[in-house]
Order: sequence, then structure tokens, then C-alpha cells
Amino acid sequence: MDVPIVRPEFLQPPLSPDLIARLTAIVGDKYAVTDAEELAQYLTEARNLFHGRSPLVLRPASTAEVSAICKLASEHRIALVPQGGNTGLVGGQTPHSGEVVVSMRRMDRIREVDTASNTMTVEAGVILQTIQRRADEADRFFPLSLGAEGSCTIGGNLSTNAGGTGALAYGVARDMALGLEVVLADGRILNGLSKLKKDNTGYDLRNLFIGAEGTLGIITAAVVKLFSKPRSVQTAFVGLKSPADALKLLAISQAEAAGSLTSFELLAEICVDICLKHGTDIRDPLAYRHPWYVLMEISSSRDDAAATVEAVLDRGIRNGFVGDAVLAASLQQRAAFWKLRETIPPAQKREGGSIKHDISVPVAAVPAFIAEANIAVAKLIPDARPVPFGHLGDGNIHYNVSQPVSGMTTQEFLARWQEVNAVVFKIALRMGGSISAEHGIGVLKRDDLPGVKDKTAIEVMRGIKALFDPLGIMNPGKVL
Amino acid sequence: MKILVPVKRVVDFNVKIRLKGDGSGVELANVKMSINPFDEIAVEEALRLQEAGKATEVVLVSIGPSQAADTIRTGLAMGADRGILVTSDEPVEPLAVAKILRAVVEEEGPGLIILGKQAIDDDSNQTGQMLAGLLGWAQATFASKLEVDGTYFNVTREVDGGLQTVRLKRPAIVTTDLRLNEPRYASLPNIMKAKKKPIVVRAANQYGVDLAPRLEILKTTEPPGRKAGVKVKDVAELVSKLRNEAGVI
Repeated sequence: MDVPIVRPEFLQPPLSPDLIARLTAIVGDKYAVTDAEELAQYLTEARNLFHGRSPLVLRPASTAEVSAICKLASEHRIALVPQGGNTGLVGGQTPHSGEVVVSMRRMDRIREVDTASNTMTVEAGVILQTIQRRADEADRFFPLSLGAEGSCTIGGNLSTNAGGTGALAYGVARDMALGLEVVLADGRILNGLSKLKKDNTGYDLRNLFIGAEGTLGIITAAVVKLFSKPRSVQTAFVGLKSPADALKLLAISQAEAAGSLTSFELLAEICVDICLKHGTDIRDPLAYRHPWYVLMEISSSRDDAAATVEAVLDRGIRNGFVGDAVLAASLQQRAAFWKLRETIPPAQKREGGSIKHDISVPVAAVPAFIAEANIAVAKLIPDARPVPFGHLGDGNIHYNVSQPVSGMTTQEFLARWQEVNAVVFKIALRMGGSISAEHGIGVLKRDDLPGVKDKTAIEVMRGIKALFDPLGIMNPGKVL
Repeated sequence: MKILVPVKRVVDFNVKIRLKGDGSGVELANVKMSINPFDEIAVEEALRLQEAGKATEVVLVSIGPSQAADTIRTGLAMGADRGILVTSDEPVEPLAVAKILRAVVEEEGPGLIILGKQAIDDDSNQTGQMLAGLLGWAQATFASKLEVDGTYFNVTREVDGGLQTVRLKRPAIVTTDLRLNEPRYASLPNIMKAKKKPIVVRAANQYGVDLAPRLEILKTTEPPGRKAGVKVKDVAELVSKLRNEAGVI
């Protein structure tokens, strides 16, 4: 696919050897990457949709170094692209037109774990999984969880306001941050590493940077919230007839478990098919096939998770909206259920071209959305295979469409990307939904944004951008 | 033929083990406990034999604290018929376990006992062998395949050099290895049914077995942390390190 459409105003003029030397001096020779082979890992991403171009990757070790980089960059109008684990799905982390990449991965210190305030102060480059493990060691729980957690960084999670599987009970990345330390475009350091839940002293600057995808400044550290560890967790893999039945199960699960319902993932049958076909050590959890599946998890502060899951599913079976269900008897079985869920994206990759949608609609509209989108896509490309899955509890469906089994090359199929997007987005928007639930805008959806977002909102966003980044050097060409 | 399957409640395989502050043992407070994975394989094998018409009843027995009833329920939810819980609040060592099991065997009269080859908490790998010795029964340990042939069992064992097949006369004892089968998941309807299946509870001291531990734990320590790796410049350096430092070539 030919996404990045680089607009002329974002083209970075070639850097002089002198400027490269001065930028390099800030981080030291060892941490400035110019070698083409070494640069490659910063310029491409997992989906292979974007191929970036950059003369230089800087790997600062401290907030002071990031500040010095920004200061020099604004003096000489050098465009910067902040990057964490390079796992973004919309090209926000990629330098599309010769910008300098600021890779935050070396800033990977955990500055403090405070079990009284229930907070952890982390630098931007700490890997999400490291935070989860460190919280666990302190007998606490950090609920942000997503497929890329072994390689994505908390800085990237916050910059993109990541969602993931824990959002149902704990919210998205924004809800897990209390304070931020940010380096502004001109090099000034905005120290907002507050642990306070209550702090009404003016505008909430923190929330401007969360979800800004690096267009307003570079997040260098954050105070994140820790939660008490659930005492019991019960995971179930459920087979059912339709998304509407899944909604009924969701309703009674929420009624029974309230805030303890921590995951509720919907999977179409084809998801299980492709995972069995391409995954390793994956088995069909249920005795026979079902058109739809739900992976649900209840995490309780008491010892009652299993009893609650059993009660809910028993009711579902007796009332006919649950076909069958298995419960994880051990953490290994739990991991096997989740492995199936996490294998969908890589398995889909091996099914050929995939046109992606990360939409959200009001929860009640999910069944109608999937039904209408299936019809609309079939009209455009009759044998295309929708592979819908996602976080039903959040109304967030990854409505991905795999190419037909035969009769079309991957290239021919992907050439229809914008066309398929247009009809799917239209349906989501009509239902009061969003075209980007958790992956962000980046470059992939930048040109779609003005068409779907409130005009005044776009104006205000442009105003904020101009205030924080008057020279337009912070991740140019992204979001707006 | 009745099959008896002993099952043990252990710290879940995926839990990261932590030591108690005083080094006296492993921290068990608020730790997820599950059925010993090798015992789960034993339950699965027994159920498959029953489903194939080779066994009439699958009886589970667990020796441990009262919560070991949950472990029996896990096996009942997989499909076993009933359970016997022998309660003991103190840890019971393999010889005492084997002696209690001998008493259970005398009451139940199974034609086959399938046990996990070892429990993943103490890794003793003794109970099956001791029980075979006490009963004077044939035994096949580390089974990766089990076939019933009339009143005989053909058991394939995983041994160092490869696979060995032995033929045992009933009654016999088989201990399971990982590759014997892949245990099924418990379905909700079967979990609900399992709640109604009977579990008989007995106190361990009713069996007239000396439960006093014969071993004393002196201390428990964590394994040493992994050392950081080193980069080598070239093949010659790698070979030299493998030969002179690691001593593996």
C-alpha cells in the first residue's frame, strides 16, 4: 500500500554534517545511529506498511539529553520523530521524510515504586511487560496489557493512549497515568511527575500529551497507577451463536461481576480457524465448532472469581445464549486461551493481505455494525474474508478483512484499502462510532480525520499544536 | 476394571515461586494452586481408557489440606466418577503417601493405578515406585503410551536412549510422562455435574500410617541468577571459550 503521502511542507531538508555532529555529541557516538543496516530496525515496522527514511537515530539516556536535542532541533528547525518500541500500527513512529528519530529505549529506568501511594515512576523507554512484572513483585497489579507488551514502551503507550484488553475494568493508558515529565519542542522540561489523584490547579496539561502521538512534545517519564492484585482470576472460553448472544452474556456478566469483569473479547470462528492453521501449540478449546467465541475473564479481590464465572455461564447455557464453555483449570490453560487470542494478528498476516479497521461503536451497536460491514465489504469484494475480533466490552472491534483465498493478488487486494475503509468507516460513524479506537491516527488515518471529526475540534487541535510546536518540528505530518 | 488416580494439589506451574522471608520454605499464602500437571495427564489417560470401554470407573484420591477437594473437583470436572480426600494439614512425604494409598487400594481394589511421575513442587519422583514396592505390583514409570491388552498393559516408556516398551500384568502401576496425552479442558456443564459427584473425606491418621516426616528441611534458597552473556569477536574466540571456559568441546 502506498500510504505515507508526504506533503511537501513536511519534507526535512538534508542535515549538514555539522548539525549531525552536534546532535551526535549530545548522546555520544555510540548512541547515534547512522549506519544503514542499523537504521533499518527504526525505519520499518511489523506490518511492513511503512518504510521510513532518516539520516540519524539518537538514543538519549536522560531527560537532559532529550532536552538538549529538542533545543538544538528548534534552533535549526530539525524535525524529530519520537519512537518507543516501534510497535505502532498507524505509522506514527516512522520518519517518513528524513526526520531525526529520537529513540527512547535507553531511558528504561524505573525511578520509584511507591506502594503507599500505589504508584510507579518510570522512564519512557521502560517496556510495558517490565512494569507489569515489577508491579507483581511489589504485590501490585499494572493492568495495561496488549499484544505488543513484550516490546512496546510505556512512553509509546501513553503517547498513543493505548487501550488493550484491560480497558474494560481499568480504562485506557490515560486512566493509568497520574503525572508526566515532558520535553517541549523548544527543549523546556515540563515536570509534572505528580502522584496526586486530586490536583485542581489549572488546565490539565498531562492529558494533552497523552494520545498526542508525539506531536506536542516528547514524554520522558511518567507516574503510573498501581492496583491491588486480584486474589482470584477465572478465565473462560465460550462458544456462542452470534454477537447478539455475546452481548447478552456481557450484560449478565457485568451485572454479576460489576468491576471484576476484566476482559470480554469477541472472536469470529475464522479467527480460531486461522490460529489453528498457522499457530504453534494452539488447540481448539471447545469440543465442537461455534460461529462466535468469547474469551472472558473475571478478576476478583476475593476468592469468588470461579464461582461467578460458573454462575454466569450456567445461566447463559440454561437460557440458550451460550452454546458451550470451558474454564481454565490452571494458569497454563489460561495462557493457552490468551495465546489463541494473541495469535490472531500474526495468523492473519499469514493469510495474505489484510485491510485493517480499528473501530469502536457503542457496545449495543456492535452486532449491527458487524452485520452491515460484512454486507458492504462483500459488495465491494465478494470473496473477501472479514476476520472481526476485539474488545466487545469496549465496543472496540478490529474489523480486519483478509484477502480472498484465490483470484486476487495481495497487491490487487490492498489497492482497495481506502475504498474498503471508506464504507466501513461510514457505517461506524453513522452508529456514533470512531474510526480509530485504540491505535491512533498517525499517518494512516491522518487524511480521514478532517472528514470525521468535529470541525471546531480540529481547529482547537491545530491551535494547540501551533502553541506547543510553532515550528512544526514535533513528529510532523502525523495526526493533523 | 476400576482405575485409581492419585492427584496432588501444588503451586501452579506458571507461578513464579517466592521464598518465605525466613528461608524455611516456599511462600504459599495467596498463591494460585492447581492440580499437579503430571496428575492431570494421569486423569486424562484414565478417562480415555474409560471412554474406550477399557475401564468401568475412575476414582480420584488426594492427600493434603482440605482445599485439596478443589483439586479432586478439577479431575471430576474432567469426567472422573468420584473422589476420596485424605486430609492432613502437615506435608506428607512420599513413603507415607504410598502407605496411605496402599490402604486406599486395599479398600477400592483397582486393576490399574495411574500416577504422575512426580509432583512439580518437591519433584520427588518416588510415590509410584514406593507404592508398587509396597503392593508388590508391576510398574511402568515415565509412560508415553499406554495400551490395554486383555489382562495386560503394554506401556511405552521414555528412557534416556529412546523408547522402551514393557508388558505388565494386571494389577499394575503406571506413572505418566508429559507426552502421554494432552489433558482436556473442563467444560461448564461438566463442572456443574462435578459439583454433585461424591467426595469421601477421611483424616490421614485414620489409616494407621506413621505420618511423621523423616526428612528435615535445613534451608531453602533461590537458584543463582543468570549471568549476563558476553559477545565474542569471532569464531576462533567462541571455540576457545567453549573449549577452555565452558569445557564442552
